[in-house]
Amino acid sequence: MEPEWKLPFEQRSVIPVDPRTKIILTLTVSTIMVSGGTGGVMNIVRPVLAAIPVLMLALSQKWNAVARFGITYLILFMLELIMLPELTGSMNFLAGAMIGIYTHMLPGFIMGYYLISTTTVSEFVAAMEKVGMPQQVVIPVSVVFRFFPTLQEEYSSIQNAMRMRGITAVRNPLQMLEYRVVPLMISVAKIGEELSAAAITRGLGAKRKRTNICEIGFRCFDVLLLLISGVCWAGFLIG
Amino acid sequence: MEIVNNKLEAKDLINVGIFTAVYFVLFFVGMMLGYIPIFILLLPLICPVLCGIPFMLYLTKVKKFGMVTLTGVILGILNLLIGSGVFVLISGIIFGLLGDLIMKAGDYKSWKLSLIGTGVFSLWIMGFISRMFFTRTDFFASLTSGYGQEYVDTLMGYTPNWMFPVLFIINFIGGLAGALLGKAVLKKHFEKAGIA
Repeated sequence: MEPEWKLPFEQRSVIPVDPRTKIILTLTVSTIMVSGGTGGVMNIVRPVLAAIPVLMLALSQKWNAVARFGITYLILFMLELIMLPELTGSMNFLAGAMIGIYTHMLPGFIMGYYLISTTTVSEFVAAMEKVGMPQQVVIPVSVVFRFFPTLQEEYSSIQNAMRMRGITAVRNPLQMLEYRVVPLMISVAKIGEELSAAAITRGLGAKRKRTNICEIGFRCFDVLLLLISGVCWAGFLIG
Repeated sequence: MEIVNNKLEAKDLINVGIFTAVYFVLFFVGMMLGYIPIFILLLPLICPVLCGIPFMLYLTKVKKFGMVTLTGVILGILNLLIGSGVFVLISGIIFGLLGDLIMKAGDYKSWKLSLIGTGVFSLWIMGFISRMFFTRTDFFASLTSGYGQEYVDTLMGYTPNWMFPVLFIINFIGGLAGALLGKAVLKKHFEKAGIA
């Protein structure tokens, strides 16, 4: 039964993607990019996996992120092609390691960013309930996802305040740690209490089964993405 | 108002989520340092020290069995998502459970058992490094292609097999140091502010 109206829970994606697909894709991209080798089949698998996160962001119309990460990719490839052959000895070793780390880890991070920024908590909970994940895992994990942006916001405010007071890493690293982490923990504890109150008001943890308004389901595009990641896994395991 | 209820409620689960998020972020900061070749051996020392502060504050909210275990499980899941491999999930479950059991023995009130429990819990980080030892050839082969032979040689030189148990001990000491640091910070700041 198709409802006549849609609530704005679904993200602004051109083609909606199931959260479960997003999670599987994230796993695929990060695991294979970090621990897969190069050469052979991986010569095709790697660029595909590196492109997927940016393409997915583009599909969700996150243009800012697309531009940012696209430029980062470009710089990295330029560095690898132009700078590396020029350097010798320990500089080559250092630069090679740095670039290697970035090209290995960055796609996974972008994918993680995509996963968090385009999945609402409701969608995530709905998808996880369909998989049959126990509540004890679903609730904390969704809180974690919801909390990363909050943490970043709080941290940048604290950093501003501390910079104004002249407490920076250069002068005293240990003091810096204390003066950053302690205010962060205090505001986190406060936000946490508010969050619990809000969640309990919305019936989280009630005895009855909660209903969910999000429509979650695998569509053609999901199947395609899953196929791609399946092929990548095959390449990773064989190659 | 003590409610005798050992089941985890929504409030507990949300607390698990919040503190796990902070823990993970601080761990992540430490992990980025670990990607400088020689620093990877300091990782089991640095990370638990960094994470000690949120963890000790977290323990003041833990009164039921299962919360610390869940933290371990979720840290494992998050690490799996960022591509650290399955070992982290396994070690997250094992050491989360062990740490939880130790702390439960003291009813989450005994400082001594909490200290040891924190040390044991922090051993989940070893799952992150165990890849280097369990699937040694695979791990270094995959590194060679991406990071260059020199990086691999450096890393291999610093990690003979006997390093594995040594790293466990270093990790445990890091966990204890983190707990002590966390306790000191707790006393200095949080108790005064009334949130511990």
